Amino acid sequence: MRSLNIVLASAFLVALGEVLAQGAPPGAGPTDPQIAHIVVTANQVDIDAGKLAEAKGHSNDVKAFGKQMVTDHSGVNKQAVALVTKLKVTPEDNPTSQSLKKGGEDNLKNLRGLNGVAFDKAYIDHEIAYHEQVLDALDKVLIPNAKNEELNALLVKVRPAFVAHLEHAKTIQANLK
Amino acid sequence: MSRSTLVRIAFIGALGLLFVGGGAPVSSVAAEKASIHTVVIDGLKFDPATLTVARGDTVVWVNKDPFPHTVTSQGAFDSHDIPADKSWKYVARKAGDYDYICTLHPNMHGKLTVK
Repeated sequence: MRSLNIVLASAFLVALGEVLAQGAPPGAGPTDPQIAHIVVTANQVDIDAGKLAEAKGHSNDVKAFGKQMVTDHSGVNKQAVALVTKLKVTPEDNPTSQSLKKGGEDNLKNLRGLNGVAFDKAYIDHEIAYHEQVLDALDKVLIPNAKNEELNALLVKVRPAFVAHLEHAKTIQANLK
Repeated sequence: MSRSTLVRIAFIGALGLLFVGGGAPVSSVAAEKASIHTVVIDGLKFDPATLTVARGDTVVWVNKDPFPHTVTSQGAFDSHDIPADKSWKYVARKAGDYDYICTLHPNMHGKLTVK
């Protein structure tokens, strides 16, 4: 599982690199429409995994965590969609979104084949890797490049939620061992 | 005395009446009534994070995040889930120091002191 996470994390970072290299002048990052798409995709991926954990999780902590991921990330997405609608920004698909989506699908496929404690461990391990990746992306790519003030403010406002989820997942991971 | 001066005097007089008439009852009510304090929850922070109130005061926590939070002080008070854009009210009846957290995001800390 750890090696899979490392592979997924590497794919994510490579995709981010591709976004940075694409079409724009050297050093330029993703555009606001691309950032909006990345935000919505990142949340959706974690909502889908959360739904599976809520249904299939073994321990009550894991089920509750899955349910909370669905609630929190749905809330963030609702706000993100409301903002892009207001700003008349059309989210634009891009390699980072595609990589996130692929990583999410691979994770679901892997989790569907697991049961009991093995499921809980794999889900929580992935949640930790996922939240670390998103935080890294927020800090290095998304927040520095979001040009619209309100989009930037939304990213800054939701960042602590990813930190809280990461810490919460680490606590659950420690209790699973 | 010119007409405009008379108008001015009448106006100032009316203002004075407003002050006496409107001001007095408000201050007497305020003296009897307990205060209401607001703590805003935004970006996973309680603001203000520490708050001191008098016994009988009301504290209202307003959740401005797009997902639920709780205001939970073990053994003392528990809001349970406060949905996005909703608030929770608590009347502080017992003196003491109350550390509280959000059970959904346990790295969120706040403190309520009731004198």
